[in-house]
Amino acid sequence: MEMKPLPITELRSLLAAVSDHGKQHLVEVEADLMQTTILLSGAIDKLSISFMAVHEAVTKQQQVLDSLMAIHHFKQEEVDLLDNLTKEIGNEVNSAVTAMQFQDMTSQLLTRTIRRVNGLRDLLQELATHGNEMDPSHEHDEIAKFLDDMSHSLHVGSHALSGGLRRSVDQQNMVTGDVDLF
Amino acid sequence: MAKTILAVDDSGSLRQMVAFSLKAAGYDVVQAVDGQDGLNKAKEKTVDLVLTDQNMPIMDGLTLIKNLRALGSYKSVPILMLTTESSDEMKAKGKAAGANGWLVKPFDPKRLIEVVQKVIGS
Repeated sequence: MEMKPLPITELRSLLAAVSDHGKQHLVEVEADLMQTTILLSGAIDKLSISFMAVHEAVTKQQQVLDSLMAIHHFKQEEVDLLDNLTKEIGNEVNSAVTAMQFQDMTSQLLTRTIRRVNGLRDLLQELATHGNEMDPSHEHDEIAKFLDDMSHSLHVGSHALSGGLRRSVDQQNMVTGDVDLF
Repeated sequence: MAKTILAVDDSGSLRQMVAFSLKAAGYDVVQAVDGQDGLNKAKEKTVDLVLTDQNMPIMDGLTLIKNLRALGSYKSVPILMLTTESSDEMKAKGKAAGANGWLVKPFDPKRLIEVVQKVIGS
């Protein structure tokens, strides 16, 4: 019985379609991630400027209050209230300084994700390139070898991609980290 | 005279928060954007403490520490890591490279000042 030829043309089309559609989606993912990075960077810049300005104004305000307290007699309850407000402002400033470190962590995570997206795009390109090497005139064994090589190449590429993207941010929230003195 | 701290981090916002906290406590702060910049600035003027991130372009924190420890003037200057890295493996590498302490981000300004004061005094 004569064997039917393998549908190599269809297989090449499928691999090319997977590669093309995948790459198109990844381009969009990368663009969104880049936009997110820019927005977060812009937000932290504005937050930092406002934070510094508010802190400077509060510091000057405190100096004015100190001068007034040196000249005028304040009731003890007023002095206590001002002291409590100063402590409260100090605590809130500390919380804000801790919270504003979010951009350092998110940008590291975004950079890692963008590198993974780029790596995945390269793998998809490899899929299409290998697919193009197959020809309907090839023998069954040759086609099997092409597919095996393609599978191996994807495995190696994926492994290398993961290996080059070590996770450096494990924080799940903005709780302050541990301190170890050696 | 105020003690000087070299703060090395590729994140501008993080450097700003570190400098803000340390200046408020009375320290002078020199900022560097990566390990190589930190090494150059450390050579220009010997500082009292180095506070460095680990993951930075051009030169990472561990490499910076090794380079600083190779300089005669930085053999005994305290070096603290301030990084998102929190694994025991990385801490061991930091200790082996010559770091005196490891602080995991995000930092609490009050705690940071306490640690700095413990290491180099007020």
